[in-house]
Amino acid sequence: MTDATELTVTLPARSRKIPRQRAKWHGAVALVLLGAVLAGSALLPDGALSVNAAARALPPQPGHLLGTDMLGRDIAARTLAALAQSVQVGLLAAGASTLVAVVLGLAATFGRLADHAVGVLTELALGLPHFVLLIMIAFAMGGGTTGVVVAVALTHWPRLSRVLRHEAQTIAASDYVAISRALGRSRLWVARHHLVPHLVPQILAGFIVIFPHAILHEAGLSFIGLGIEPHLPSIGVMLSESLREIMAGHWWVAAAPGLGLMLVALAFEQFGEALRRLSDPAGGIA
Amino acid sequence: MFRPLSTLAVALSLMLTAQAEARPLVLAIGGEPDAGFDPIMGWGHYGNPLFQSTLLRTDADLNLVGDLATDWALSEDGLVWRLRLRKDAMFSDGTPLTAKDVAFTYNTARTAGGLADLTVLKEARALDATTVELELTEPRITFVSRLATLGIVPAASYGEGYARHPVGSGPFRMVEWREGEQLVVEPNPHWHGGEIAFERVSFIFGSEEAGQALARTGAADLVAVPPSLADGAPSGMKVLHVDTVDNRGLAFPMVPRAGETTEAGTPIGNDVTADPAIRVAINQALDREALVALALNGHGRPATGPADGLPWDNPEAAIPGNDPATAMQTLDAAGWSDTDGDGIREKDGLPARFQVLYPASDSTRQALALGASEQLREIGIDAQPTGSSWDEIGALMHSEVVVLGWGAHDPSEVFYLHHGDYAGVDYYNTGHYVNPTVDAHLEAAEAAPSFEASLAEWKAAAWDGETGFGPKGDATWAWMVNLEHAYWASDCLDLGPLQVHPHGHGFPITHDLPSWRWTCE
Repeated sequence: MTDATELTVTLPARSRKIPRQRAKWHGAVALVLLGAVLAGSALLPDGALSVNAAARALPPQPGHLLGTDMLGRDIAARTLAALAQSVQVGLLAAGASTLVAVVLGLAATFGRLADHAVGVLTELALGLPHFVLLIMIAFAMGGGTTGVVVAVALTHWPRLSRVLRHEAQTIAASDYVAISRALGRSRLWVARHHLVPHLVPQILAGFIVIFPHAILHEAGLSFIGLGIEPHLPSIGVMLSESLREIMAGHWWVAAAPGLGLMLVALAFEQFGEALRRLSDPAGGIA
Repeated sequence: MFRPLSTLAVALSLMLTAQAEARPLVLAIGGEPDAGFDPIMGWGHYGNPLFQSTLLRTDADLNLVGDLATDWALSEDGLVWRLRLRKDAMFSDGTPLTAKDVAFTYNTARTAGGLADLTVLKEARALDATTVELELTEPRITFVSRLATLGIVPAASYGEGYARHPVGSGPFRMVEWREGEQLVVEPNPHWHGGEIAFERVSFIFGSEEAGQALARTGAADLVAVPPSLADGAPSGMKVLHVDTVDNRGLAFPMVPRAGETTEAGTPIGNDVTADPAIRVAINQALDREALVALALNGHGRPATGPADGLPWDNPEAAIPGNDPATAMQTLDAAGWSDTDGDGIREKDGLPARFQVLYPASDSTRQALALGASEQLREIGIDAQPTGSSWDEIGALMHSEVVVLGWGAHDPSEVFYLHHGDYAGVDYYNTGHYVNPTVDAHLEAAEAAPSFEASLAEWKAAAWDGETGFGPKGDATWAWMVNLEHAYWASDCLDLGPLQVHPHGHGFPITHDLPSWRWTCE
């Protein structure tokens, strides 16, 4: 980490106000988007997602602002419902992944053997190709929403876990922790009262960085048919369906879900990045 | 599953070989058999086994004509078929085909228990080199269609691994089969049927989208396309709409859930669909014309039975549908009413709710499941579409409603779908339906002295005025649509006259592949 020490020396010269402002802005944009998607999908009228033989493959027009698909379903309504579905799956999967990372990161302070085990496990998980592992787990779980959540949860923890492990060890080596231990506090008590409060910023930033990845991978798995069932609204499914329709010139079938996914993922990516800079200016979390 | 890379690789390899030699015929019509090309294990079960030839075959008007057999006759008592074989038939390895090979094939298939159902065969005997006798245990009028579907394998070399390296007396022999990617065949020089216009024929397997992509790049000459997309053929190709008896319907579990399970441990029965009122109401409510418009882009016709329009179909048994008012009366009369105001009817606390399973990979069945589900919601039935793999469907098809499809050129399928002996056998009678009167009609049909005489019994099995498997009787299915099979075919390809196709979009079109011709240079 020699580079990092160099960087930390130069940092005090820069104001920390700008990154904080950026984080606020990105956070506001991301949260407004999230709220709009969730509220919008909850407010969809009954029957907005129904098939309609009389309105098949209509281009964008009043009444169907983003057009309809081959079964006459309104693309705007379906995209909104799909994004809400993606966001929920993303939150669940990213939350589970973060939890795994936290548990493993803390476990690393429980003696050398535990630390070694966590290290080996993390390196192993990092060494495996990401998407292949995702596909294998989702396939083994038999696909479906559960399969996607489990697959994403089990593949996105290693990088965050590595950061948390490093931080946790640094704190664990500090004097006040040593005193606390000498006073007879258990490792668990130390983890709970000394480590976790210090790790909150990293955990939060890590969660927000994982979130867009989880959404993208959910879409990816659904796209290749291992994720959410094809009749349910899901961005991956919509994009996969649009493949054959786009050949027939129906561009609007792909446009809305594609742009929607990009927008949500980008907003959270930026928010996470801004938060990361705030909590860890030297860089670290991928 | 969409495999862009392998599709690209196949497309590239096709383009490269195209420059080196005369362009092969390239078909992207699906139909890759999981179990390989062994007729004894069910390959060619709808006729046309490609590598093998059959004793008889059907012509474009579905008349039986000889293939390996030159003449054939059934004994007076309906128990013994005697067939004389042509003398010039040879396997692709150059050995002659004799009556011994025929007897071997039939005797092996009888005991193998594959899809080729020969349980009624007592024994096949070779009387001399060109005469074979097939003796049945009981008269079975539909046995003749076995003669037109079971491909003959060589007695001398048949064994383990045959399915991957088939040797037969059919029009083609295998060059290469890369599972999931492509099958390459070339004409069998020893075939007895005449000249074939192609040096090679490639069958490309993969997703629907992959086939369309190949058509648009000009790499494929014949592509099976879902009916909803058929109208947008790329330039240089024409749209073919082929009439079929390939149908789709909702197969109902017929018995209540009593804790019984299949041998595999999967549940049997469904308390909601076990009520005849539910099944009849669904038949009354479904607007089949709307389903044809939605799922098939109008390229199809409503279905009300398993064999619409065929001689053994009984139109009397049908309920035309699109009558939600009557359907709601049926439900009211049977005690199904919406007591808690959620829009779904209940009876004794049991909501009118079931899953409608469809294979996630099949966009037509998905559209049918969605369309039917929305129509049924209007009469207060909650039919929940559920996309699954075929494995999962196999596990749940005895306890939930499934979008299944059938359609064959012979009535034995009607027997398998509704006879009590076939309850839970393969994908036949999935609902475990047993009605002794229907069984008796079906058995009487099979035992009839002639095909014509059997027709009245087939019809009576569907509806005899009091009972039957048809919608008016026990309503074992709610049939929805008969498909039209849509293809994009190269403008340069002449396919000749086409049969009415059975179940299976894709492979049946190759029935007359040996007589196809290029029409441009």
